[in-house]
Amino acid sequence: MTARPAYGAFCIGLFAFSALAVFFVVPLFFMVVVSFYKPDPMGFYKVTFVWENYQKFFASFYYKVSLRSLYSSALGAVLVVALAFPTAIAVSNLSRKWQLFWVILLLSLMCLSEVIIGFAWLIILSESAGIPRLLEFLGLWTNPRSLSPSFWAMMIGLVFLGFSVVTLMIYPQAAKRDRSIEEAAVTLGTPPSRVFTKVLVPSFRPTLISVTLTMFVYLLGVFVMPTMLGRPKDWTMTVIISDKALGDANLPLGAALAVVMLVVTAITLAVALLAERHGQR
Amino acid sequence: MRATKSLTLATGLAIAIGGAATSEELTISAWGGFFEETLAAEIYPGFTAETGITVNSIAQPEDSTWMTQLMAAARAKQAPADLSLVVDEVLFRGKEVGLWAKLDPANMPGTTALKDGYVKLDDDGKSYAVGALAFYTTFVTNTDFAPEAPASWAELWEDKWDRKLGIVTTPNSGLLEVTAKTFFGGYDVMETREGLERVIAKIAELKPQVSLWYRDEGQFQQSLEAGELNAGLYYHDVAMLSIWDGKPIASTFPAEGGIVSDAYWVVPRDSENIEAAEKFLSYMSRPEVQAQMARTMGVFPIVPRESMDLTDEEFSAVGSEIEPIRVQTHIHLREGDWLETKYQEMIAQ
Repeated sequence: MTARPAYGAFCIGLFAFSALAVFFVVPLFFMVVVSFYKPDPMGFYKVTFVWENYQKFFASFYYKVSLRSLYSSALGAVLVVALAFPTAIAVSNLSRKWQLFWVILLLSLMCLSEVIIGFAWLIILSESAGIPRLLEFLGLWTNPRSLSPSFWAMMIGLVFLGFSVVTLMIYPQAAKRDRSIEEAAVTLGTPPSRVFTKVLVPSFRPTLISVTLTMFVYLLGVFVMPTMLGRPKDWTMTVIISDKALGDANLPLGAALAVVMLVVTAITLAVALLAERHGQR
Repeated sequence: MRATKSLTLATGLAIAIGGAATSEELTISAWGGFFEETLAAEIYPGFTAETGITVNSIAQPEDSTWMTQLMAAARAKQAPADLSLVVDEVLFRGKEVGLWAKLDPANMPGTTALKDGYVKLDDDGKSYAVGALAFYTTFVTNTDFAPEAPASWAELWEDKWDRKLGIVTTPNSGLLEVTAKTFFGGYDVMETREGLERVIAKIAELKPQVSLWYRDEGQFQQSLEAGELNAGLYYHDVAMLSIWDGKPIASTFPAEGGIVSDAYWVVPRDSENIEAAEKFLSYMSRPEVQAQMARTMGVFPIVPRESMDLTDEEFSAVGSEIEPIRVQTHIHLREGDWLETKYQEMIAQ
């Protein structure tokens, strides 16, 4: 009886693994290989082995851009989770009907493409049609200026992009949580206003950390928001990489920058997970 | 359900591929948006009516992206289009790696109407590209903010734009050449890297005034029309469309000249419709077709002015008699990555 499910699981696992190998590992391997080719300004690249693409990373402003990417993705991830977690809890405390409403709303937000969201925010933040014009109308701002492109416009875009995903990731667990713990805390004298920080945040800690890390990696790869809503000095590594690989047809340099970014991300995640494990002890 | 669906899809695909191989049809790509739409609506029908060759018009992305796609296709021995509209930088890079098919000038009698130098010839007398059109980039302004047209490119550096300039992010926009001609007495300064660094440093002085470094034309045009931007660099042809549309925009050729760029037709190496492509190129080079493109698309013709029936008014709408500023493509190709990185560093730091 037990052998068959195990066998089935093995088959599925093997299939998933081979799909991963073919569609993820093989392209990744090619990317690493291409990152050592020599870019050819007149053509594409020459098949030789050079380090120059990696040297460029440290010789130029690319390392600054990569630090900047890490910073904005990390900040974005923390903000997303800080907003989405209370929302998920609040939604889970509503009646069934309203819970359904919110879940459907959040799901439909996820259907919007990045470009549509970007354009919508561009209009909302513009001085001719958006919030600045509204503030002028209310007499709060005499000479309104467009609020984008700016760092915070980009951050709003990033947070908006991640918000519904994270809320829906946390919601199932929030809905199923054992509410008797919160009741017990109140009975034992915790003020209801502090139940959130004293009980809910600690009991969701592992979930929150894994969701934040997931969001961090997700936001690192976002391309549209920085180009549409950010200033050039907010552009992330993703923008620079696509500029290099597509805009300048310099695939080797683009690949090298992507490999560096991959390594940096892996190290960051590893450090975060180690710190988390250390913190638990 | 699913099986039949994919089956019909597969048959449809097979028919499409089979169809392309047998009937006289040309797949022609041009920059997506206004260019591609107008060519398909206004220019190609005349060619089809005359030759019976149907044209399948497709949109191509921004130049370097398209170049990357063409190269990938060439490796797979495929041609995404039989003809493609490219700027000279793409033309020369593609030539270097043998991306373009060889055409016989004898089969394209119409091309003799073009100005000298627009039929690009190999050492063996075969042609690898034919000029398509030229287009200008000018100093555009929002007339609600700046009712007077700027006289010189130097005004871009003046402290009067209320921090609302829009400038292209790529170094081959022509701004380097504008800066060299306006402030350094010509393009010679661009011959050395030190000189280029000085020019880039001059462009960096614009930064406090620039609110949008754009790569997407749509975003720039929308912002300029709405008054979110007051001035910038933009394509003359699309600016003219906005003006005819009644938008508060002016497109000015300053004293130093507008920036002119040439576009060429190329045939990707693996195209199987060389003969039809040659007929097309011959047709497109005729003075009357060049004049028609000037009228409908606002682009600058590349045949001598006296061979066309354009009125003075029509001619001055698409160009100017002032000696234009030319993008120094040889420098951009030579300095390639170095220049792009320096430029990007200047903008993004």
